[in-house]
Amino acid sequence: MSFDQNAFLIIITAAMIAISCGLLGVFMMLRKMSMTGDAISHAVLPGIVIGFFISGSQRGLEVIIGAGILGILATLMIDWLRRKARVQLDASIGITFTLLFAIGIILINLLAYKVDLDQECVLYGEIAYLPIDLWLTKSGLNLGPRILYLSLLNLILVITFIILFFKELKVTSFDENFSKVIGIPAGLINLSLMSMVSYTTVSSFEAVGAILVVALLVVPPATAFLWTRKLKLLIQLTIAIGIGISIVGYYLAYFFDSSIAGMIVSVAGIGFLASALFKSKSFLSRFGTSRTSVSFEKTV
Amino acid sequence: MEDFVYFFTFQDPSIAFVVIGIILLGVGSAYVGTYSFLDKKALLGDAISHAVLPGICVGFILAGEKNPLFIVSGAFISGALATFLSSWLNKSTRLSEDAIIASILSIFFGFGIVLLTIIQKSGNPEMAGLNQFIFGNAIAILESDVYIYGGLAVFIILCLTVFQKEFSLLVFNPDYGRAIGFPMGMIRVTFNVLLILSVVIGIQAIGVVLMAALLITPGAAARFWTDRLGVLVILAGTFSAISGVLGTYISFVIPQMPTGPWVVVFLSIIALISFLFAPKKGVLSRYLSRRIYLRKTHRDHLLKLLYKGIEANKPGLPIAEIHEAFPFQKTQTKQSIGNLSKDKFITQNQLVIELSSTGRSEAKRIVRLHRLWELYLNEYMNIAPDHVHDTAEKLEHLLSPEMEELLESRLNFPKLDPHQENIPRD
Amino acid sequence: MITQVKNPILEIHDLTVSYDQSPVLWNVDLSLPSGKLIGILGPNGAGKSTLIKAIMGLVDPSGGYVKLFDKTLAEVRSRISYVPQRESVDWNFPASVLDVVMMGTYGKLGLFKRPGKKEKELSMESLEKVGMHGFANRQISELSGGQQQRVFIARSLAQNADLYLMDEPFAGVDMATETAIFELLKEMTAAGKTVIVVHHDIYSAVNYFDWFIMLNLHLVASGPKETAMTEELLSKTYGGKLNLLTKVSDLIRQKEFNPLKN
Repeated sequence: MSFDQNAFLIIITAAMIAISCGLLGVFMMLRKMSMTGDAISHAVLPGIVIGFFISGSQRGLEVIIGAGILGILATLMIDWLRRKARVQLDASIGITFTLLFAIGIILINLLAYKVDLDQECVLYGEIAYLPIDLWLTKSGLNLGPRILYLSLLNLILVITFIILFFKELKVTSFDENFSKVIGIPAGLINLSLMSMVSYTTVSSFEAVGAILVVALLVVPPATAFLWTRKLKLLIQLTIAIGIGISIVGYYLAYFFDSSIAGMIVSVAGIGFLASALFKSKSFLSRFGTSRTSVSFEKTV
Repeated sequence: MEDFVYFFTFQDPSIAFVVIGIILLGVGSAYVGTYSFLDKKALLGDAISHAVLPGICVGFILAGEKNPLFIVSGAFISGALATFLSSWLNKSTRLSEDAIIASILSIFFGFGIVLLTIIQKSGNPEMAGLNQFIFGNAIAILESDVYIYGGLAVFIILCLTVFQKEFSLLVFNPDYGRAIGFPMGMIRVTFNVLLILSVVIGIQAIGVVLMAALLITPGAAARFWTDRLGVLVILAGTFSAISGVLGTYISFVIPQMPTGPWVVVFLSIIALISFLFAPKKGVLSRYLSRRIYLRKTHRDHLLKLLYKGIEANKPGLPIAEIHEAFPFQKTQTKQSIGNLSKDKFITQNQLVIELSSTGRSEAKRIVRLHRLWELYLNEYMNIAPDHVHDTAEKLEHLLSPEMEELLESRLNFPKLDPHQENIPRD
Repeated sequence: MITQVKNPILEIHDLTVSYDQSPVLWNVDLSLPSGKLIGILGPNGAGKSTLIKAIMGLVDPSGGYVKLFDKTLAEVRSRISYVPQRESVDWNFPASVLDVVMMGTYGKLGLFKRPGKKEKELSMESLEKVGMHGFANRQISELSGGQQQRVFIARSLAQNADLYLMDEPFAGVDMATETAIFELLKEMTAAGKTVIVVHHDIYSAVNYFDWFIMLNLHLVASGPKETAMTEELLSKTYGGKLNLLTKVSDLIRQKEFNPLKN
């Protein structure tokens, strides 16, 4: 098989997005904020639309700023609902993200004359167009696919963020009270994590859509957590899974002629469920490696 | 304006069906969702809504068209599978609940997207109808749809109403239910079935992504108005129905607008109004209660001041002196004086304020409560005499007559407080 | 009997704390001496945990203040160590024993700096002191209750503080661990550290501590055994006869706002 440049570009970009999301997702999962991550990736939609609208047809900084603001707004809204209005947490999350997402959809329809976003694209993106959506500089130089660069930048920033604040993220995720007592600005760390998630969502949504970003945030870390309890290994495994599902997902999507992002997620899903089955207590006790142990716990 | 009249007088029978449909869907979802909300598992509904997508697609593929029977069955199986997997994952792995819900939600949805795009590429003209399941399009509800979906909605509402006792046990105290012999496992399964059903019929109007709002928001909003389950559920249903009709109206007037988002917007507006303005629980109401309370405490303090004046042989106090006692609270003091005069607790003689006879007993009561409480804090709680004043100052306005009696008897009808001041009685 | 101390390491002045709308601690006034092993005792719901949390700045008081080393908490954070209740954390977290203990060094490292050899040595020493030296690379999900508690204490030792506040460190812990921890705490106070412990069991308390704080929604007593643990004071603490206080707390909870807050 000859080297397919387009396939390579798409897979690389998908892998980078999967890695960015996975890295952030590990900490979201450890903080038990997976659903908040889900909420944020829905909530940034109005910010994206307004950013598109303001910047005309140039997609750029305005969109990212718009999403960042919305991400923070969503976090603040959830917090206000929970603390000031005294609404329970799961309802606060649900109400906030559905409202913001609804506003986003309405805006897409209202501003359709100027904003060329379509509803489906928002949900699952279309990374297949990646190779033809090129970054052409003023002098006409073809630097390659635009989204590739966006994802690369995103990945670099996410990696930097995680390395810089690794110990703060670790301690605030494990024991928030203790971290506050030793003087770590837990609230700020939380807010910056949420902001990174918003930024990553917006950076990736053109390729994989808002909703599938959630899958990439949640599923690889969850799968990895089924296999290991060591943090370093957890992160490495998440990265490996991210790369793996991008490759397999692409080729399967090609074979079935379906959405690439959707297929990547489906592959991740199969991996996740298979891991869960393999690692589940009943499976292990029935087919487990230690044959000498009596299977007194037959089923869960 | 014409549109408005046309819409709401149901001149067009298809509109009538749409409105009936959306009211039934909305109410059914609100009913089930409210129980989910009380169970603190509101986001499970969100997961199920996303999870039905693959089932819808499979149903469509098998039927070759938008056949309600196939679609509902497919969606139901898909939703049931998701629910089953969620509880299985909960029991068999050490993943936290939110991670499980988020995973199931996105995996099923991703798979649904795969199927959806395959269908789209197959060029089947019928598939335009499928898109409506993602964002909702109430206007597309046909008469035949109403009978099926409406029927299911009525079934859900009836089920929840008839078995209100069982379901409320499930939500509040399943262990107790089990202990008194109710089949809680069965009830849980039934509830999940109703939840999945309501999702399946609700997404017609509002779409997969926003379905969670139809489940969570009505109940969350209604919760602020009442503590009684029966009223709560009916109120949630009403909110849902209103938002549904308004959202549909917008879809009717602006045809390219999907219904779902507008229903959510109206629901959220109702919710916000509830959170802010509901009596007792609303933000505004709590703020006002606090303000009213603070104003009462200020009036009480003023009465106390006058009484202390009498104890110091000053039958009345000049207004200026009263203002001095409450620095930085000029308007507050003026208001209190006004209110107290109106209630005939004080009389004003030129520039001097005096207590009336009713004022004097009231002032005496407050001073008594204050000093009794100080004594209690000091004697029973070892609190130093110079620290008891502040807490007593805050509590004197709260204590009821029964408390007063208790205090008196506990302290044995004392004569003096920790500062050696007289405890006044009639 | 409330004994006050000159030059206290910890001073609490007229502290009132509400938790979830109802007042849990009323007008607490006390001062504590340094270099002692101090126990906080009282029935369930007496406000023991709340007192620790208020000292650590994790809950805001409705009135009064706390002074540590005669300064505010913010000024002396590096000199104070906190051991929360074991259940406050998910032990499934992907971390090794050494990872957790090293967290104790984060406060002094500040933002951006990574823990290095010095921190690792300090952590291993702390693990040595609690007898968990060999467990350094074990995953915390594989630990027993007693071992988890030792890890928490090792973490606080790694902070190298002067004042230690521990919330129920002996709860649900096996006998061997309890004895070991107690020995360690005795060594620490002998070396001049001050250790304040919320304890759940009155019988063992009598033998463990030098100073006793008796709480029952208010401060019943504070002082050495002779003055704080009399029959009368014990019955005041555990006798549960504060009807009035409970009634008032109920009244306050019924209001939609907290009238004790300013």
